[in-house]
Amino acid sequence: MSTAGRLCSDLTKFALKPHDAHEVSQLNELKIDMSGLNMIAGWVANGDVIMMEQMPIFGGYSGGKEETAICDVATMIASFVLFNCDIHLDGPIHIRWGTTTTRETLQIAAHACAALDKNTNLLLGNQYYTLAGPCTEMCLLETAAQSMTDTASGRELISGVASSKGVTQDRTTGMEARMMGEVAGATAGMDVAEVNEVLKKLVGLYERDFSHAPAGKRFQECYDVNTILPTDDYINIYSRAVRTMGRCGLDMNIY
Amino acid sequence: MAAKKYLDIYDSYDRFHNGKRVREDSWDYVIVPTNAMAMREKYDINFSDDIIPDDDDLCDRLFQAGVEMLCTTGFYNTDIGRALQVSEEEVYEGIRRSPKNIKLGSGKEEVSCIPRRGNSSTPPIIEGGPTGAPVSEDIFVPMMQSYAQEATVDVLVSGVLNTIKKHPSITNTPWEIRATLAEIGFVREAANMAGRPGLGI
Repeated sequence: MSTAGRLCSDLTKFALKPHDAHEVSQLNELKIDMSGLNMIAGWVANGDVIMMEQMPIFGGYSGGKEETAICDVATMIASFVLFNCDIHLDGPIHIRWGTTTTRETLQIAAHACAALDKNTNLLLGNQYYTLAGPCTEMCLLETAAQSMTDTASGRELISGVASSKGVTQDRTTGMEARMMGEVAGATAGMDVAEVNEVLKKLVGLYERDFSHAPAGKRFQECYDVNTILPTDDYINIYSRAVRTMGRCGLDMNIY
Repeated sequence: MAAKKYLDIYDSYDRFHNGKRVREDSWDYVIVPTNAMAMREKYDINFSDDIIPDDDDLCDRLFQAGVEMLCTTGFYNTDIGRALQVSEEEVYEGIRRSPKNIKLGSGKEEVSCIPRRGNSSTPPIIEGGPTGAPVSEDIFVPMMQSYAQEATVDVLVSGVLNTIKKHPSITNTPWEIRATLAEIGFVREAANMAGRPGLGI
């Protein structure tokens, strides 16, 4: 989006309020443009909450897992120190799959967050891009794995879910956010070693399907668009994913 | 040593303006990867098989590596073609001055975002929404309502309207402005329909 587009979001009575998150992006890696700087200047002057986003690419300019995590830490610090943001929104992404839910990108996000969590009070978020689409167990398990990772590594906010990599029209629904939230609630307070054991089983269940991930269904096929209720089909798939999570060692205890 | 001042956005612009001129391809293909590799070696950063680290010393070294990466590499402005530099004192001053509590939303839906510290028993704030994925105009409000009505959702994040009144919302045109304002209006409408008008966006 342009600077004008972002800054005008504070106009009219329906507009963003100072207590809404005003989102601006860095560029990969350790880069920004004038559009970003100008948006921030406007929002700082207006006293708005500023959320700065950047998704470091694993396998991109920075290189392997450890190098990407080092760049991720530097990037997150820069959001606060150079660009006056209030919360950083992360999202390490896999160059081959375009998702945040691979074993490597979960590891990068967890290490970078834990490093900052232990040494600072910075407010850190993470965003979700799954490979599989809505109304599939794989999409829900990918979401669950990242939610466990983010919660146990100390994130303050989690944002999603951009199912189907967030690039396909209408392939996102509230049910994925339900999974993200319920898993976070079930994970909070668990011993980290125990979370790692669950993740070992859980990630192993879906990562072998990356090359043939199911596209899932559009919102219109997942919900009754008049009552805004999920279909029986999606409820059944959700329940199946919850049972799978239980077998991996996470008791969601939701019903 | 303490820093003289906390850098603000205007200081950062001035530093870009007066920074060292660098070619963008050198930044991408030489400076960033070379420095990241050097920091990995200097601080001996190697991950085990665990997804979440349970090693305090590794976390400390990774933090130091990130701070030094920022201080030795700087930050690049693609429009100006220059990189700014920041000192370690300024980095720590900036970290100290950063907010430790922000409020999102209003009224009954107001939530406080505060540091959790490790795997606290307080879960993170749940921001539900398509996270920038494209959404058709005709289902934008119902889709956003599907998030707003979820009990675990604390704040909303919008999808993107590719069209407004069936017209493409082309960036940096009046149609983008119209689509942006319509998008926010639709998200508010969805929050209202879910009975949660104060939800933050």
